[in-house]
Formats: sequence, C-alpha cells, structure tokens
Amino acid sequence: MRVLLMGHPNVGKSVFFNRLTGANIIESNYPGTTVDYTKGYMRQFGEDIEVIDVPGTFSLDPKDKAEEVAVKMLRDNKDAKIICVVDASKIERGLYLLLEIIEEGFPVVVALNMWDTAMDKNIQIDAPELEQILGVPVVPTVGISGEGISAVVSKLKDITPVDADAIVERMGGI
Amino acid sequence: MQKKLNEMAYDEEGVVVKIEEDLRQKIAGVGIRTGKKIKMITKEPLKGPVVVMVDEAKTSLGLSVADKIIMEV
Repeated sequence: MRVLLMGHPNVGKSVFFNRLTGANIIESNYPGTTVDYTKGYMRQFGEDIEVIDVPGTFSLDPKDKAEEVAVKMLRDNKDAKIICVVDASKIERGLYLLLEIIEEGFPVVVALNMWDTAMDKNIQIDAPELEQILGVPVVPTVGISGEGISAVVSKLKDITPVDADAIVERMGGI
Repeated sequence: MQKKLNEMAYDEEGVVVKIEEDLRQKIAGVGIRTGKKIKMITKEPLKGPVVVMVDEAKTSLGLSVADKIIMEV
C-alpha cells in the first residue's frame, strides 16, 4: 500500500509524516517548507506501507513548482490512498482540494488537523455530519501531540473511492 | 460601492461580487469565490502583491489577479 499525505501548505503534513514514519524531516510554521516529496515507511496491517509527504498545494491546478510536484505525485500514483490533511481552523478552503482529490477517484481519509486551534478559536465542526456528507472518514487530529493519528491510520485499510456527484446530491445540489 | 480588490484600502472589508471567468477556478483553491468576505491586510509597493484575509487565513494575490476581482465595499 502507498499513502500520500496531501493538503494545503502549512497544515501539518510533515508533522504527520514524522509521526507516521518515525522520521525527522524539517517542519516549520511556514507555508512552503516542503517543496519536494519525502518518502518513508510505516509498519501497519502486517505490511510495510510507503508514506509520501507531498508538498502543499491549494488545488490540482498547479501554480508553482512545488504544486507541480504535488499534482504529479498524485497523477503518478493512481493506486495510492490519500490522507488529506485539512487545517480545521480554516476548514472551508481546505474542502476544495479535498473534493478535487475525491473527484479524481482516490480513496481518502480526512485528518481535521489543528483541531485544538479550531477549538481555541471557538470554531465548532460536526465531524460525524461531515463524514456522512462526504462519505469518507473524517478524523479530528492534533499533529504535534499525536492525537487522532492512529485513528487516521486505522481507517486507511478499508477506504474506497466515493462518488463526487453523490456528495453534491447530499448537499442538495450546487 | 463597487471597486476592484486591488483598489481597496488597508483594513477595508468587502464582499466579492464578481470574479473574471478565467480566474474563478484558479483562486477557488484559496477560498475566494463570490459572496466571500475579504479584508485587505497589506499592499506591497511597486506593483507588489496584496495580502488579504479570507476565512481567518492570509492569502497573497498578485496585482494581475487582484484587479480581476470586483468587490462591494
């Protein structure tokens, strides 16, 4: 199994990567820290799973070199499973990329990262409801403390692609 | 009153009313679409980018992008 970590710049993908693989790649609180991909492995479900930390991108319509790398990673790994890391405190804009990835037909788990920050800002998110609408697992996480990460990993096993049109339908149309 | 995004003053807030067709898809990823509230944070000199606040997040936009977004302020 191959897993791609995807999401906007500065949402904590590299923190996730380090947590998952035990690696120690550079993390910083600046967008654009990761401009090329990093590969690592984690042992899960009795197999070695390849984990790839993809540079942050806002959409699948690349606007710079780092985004090009991200989109190419996705297109070159049609059989990959995706952990889409979304900044829970800026959830709305994160949903756009998520929907694009779903639309491309990839199986996805959503990590609503920086859940603690969202709570601090009094942003309330109904994760189970979101999960129902999207039809993919939605897991609140706090990357730096590791909260929720094992839950994300456990969801990887059974995820399958979902129909983007069905999501639109559940939302009551565009 | 309507004006272009790059004509907004510091700290001014407005709502997006129109985005040029060819740009719409491009900036949807950073959360800018019609109906969105945007606040001007910084305007860099010498045709530099503008920095705006959208949904608690700062986003910088080139002038060529910002002048294709029409705001109601």
